[in-house]
Amino acid sequence: MTELGIVDIREIYKTVKEIYDYDFSQYAMTSFKQRLERLIIRNNMSNAESLIHKLKNNPEFFDLFLYEISVPSTEMFRDPSLWRWVREEYLPAAIDKSIGRYKIWVPNCVSGGELYTLAIVLHELDLFDKVDILATTISNKSIEYIKEGKYDLKKIEVSDENYKRFQGNREFTSYYILDRYYAFRDTGIIKDVEFKKQNINFDDSPQNVKLILFRNNLIYFNPSLQEKILQHMYNCLSAGGYLILGIREKIRNLNIINDFEIINEAEGVYKKRIGS
Amino acid sequence: MDYKAVIIGGSAGSFQVVTRILNSLPKNFPLPVLLCLHRLKHVRSGFVEALSLKSRIPVEEPYDKDQLKPAHAYLAPANYHMYIELANRIALSTEEAVNHSRPSIDLSFITAANAYRQKLIGIILSGANKDGSYGLKKVHDNGGTTIVQDPNECEVRTMTQSALQLTKVSNVYTTDQIIKYLSKL
Repeated sequence: MTELGIVDIREIYKTVKEIYDYDFSQYAMTSFKQRLERLIIRNNMSNAESLIHKLKNNPEFFDLFLYEISVPSTEMFRDPSLWRWVREEYLPAAIDKSIGRYKIWVPNCVSGGELYTLAIVLHELDLFDKVDILATTISNKSIEYIKEGKYDLKKIEVSDENYKRFQGNREFTSYYILDRYYAFRDTGIIKDVEFKKQNINFDDSPQNVKLILFRNNLIYFNPSLQEKILQHMYNCLSAGGYLILGIREKIRNLNIINDFEIINEAEGVYKKRIGS
Repeated sequence: MDYKAVIIGGSAGSFQVVTRILNSLPKNFPLPVLLCLHRLKHVRSGFVEALSLKSRIPVEEPYDKDQLKPAHAYLAPANYHMYIELANRIALSTEEAVNHSRPSIDLSFITAANAYRQKLIGIILSGANKDGSYGLKKVHDNGGTTIVQDPNECEVRTMTQSALQLTKVSNVYTTDQIIKYLSKL
């Protein structure tokens, strides 16, 4: 097993910053280190030097780098109680009241678990046609992966259990087909979703967004970067827009909390204060 | 010895042991206690409440980047890995399961060993798989103190035996001995 030291990691930050102008230095150290170690093993490299060499000499490799350091969602319908809340307490009324198209942004998609879940919930509410969904990813490979629909069998199994707890109105098996080694999710569910590659600074983000679904992403950043990204999300939301974070991502300790109203803390739901 | 934290890993058969340990710790226990126990991933509530019942130190499920405090116990939340970052903070992660486990005892132990080095006490309790063995080895390799519950006392002994095979641990203790050891810190 390759174990990277702090010096190796700084050297990788530096290389990526110099060549690609991506700054990872405010990513949470432990998980970032593990992503790098995993990337090195999965790509048959032996150490930090070989990774740096590849980053310097093989620009096409960088997209794969971005893909592999990103953490995919664990499953679909993670936290079924959140999705029940979304279905029962939030989306139908919010979309109904909305003036203009209801714009939803799902940043940092990696494997599409959250995106497919959201799309299924909207289809089951018969509201998919009333929204515009933008999914952004940091790698092109994520877009290909999500559009292909391929999904791990184990994850499908867990998602199926979650879906039962969500009490959806179909059989979960109607959303995928099984192959020998993989499941393939029904890509028809996401066919009207707009995909775009973003950089990690979220430049060129959408405006007037009514909902940002950003669960379990902040955990990969240091508090200073968390604050910066939340400020950015705040600017992208329309007044009264919603932000959904992971259930263990507390923004109570950050300054930005003053700009949001807590709607459902147990499920990580916040609302941009009107007039703030 | 000047320790910074205690980390405890367990699975099947560890609940009673953890409860007894927590109930025995004094209100002013000088260290944070990190608990990484295998649990059902979809059951979010109930566990921390059960562990809290008779504990004199607060038991909580941390939020991401929470600061660790002495005389507090931190239970790895369902379906998250719990890491220890430098600067005494918790970091949560939804990375891939390790040994089919999330939370992974190995990952909690490895990251705590990196953060605290020789100032860490790692304890492996009863359990039905091998998670934690590699992590305990890392605690040992970094100069920390390693304790394994006496397999003869364990409801399920796979986890402790596997840990003992991989590492020459500091001590093999019964629950009573673990309690006595911690009470002297």
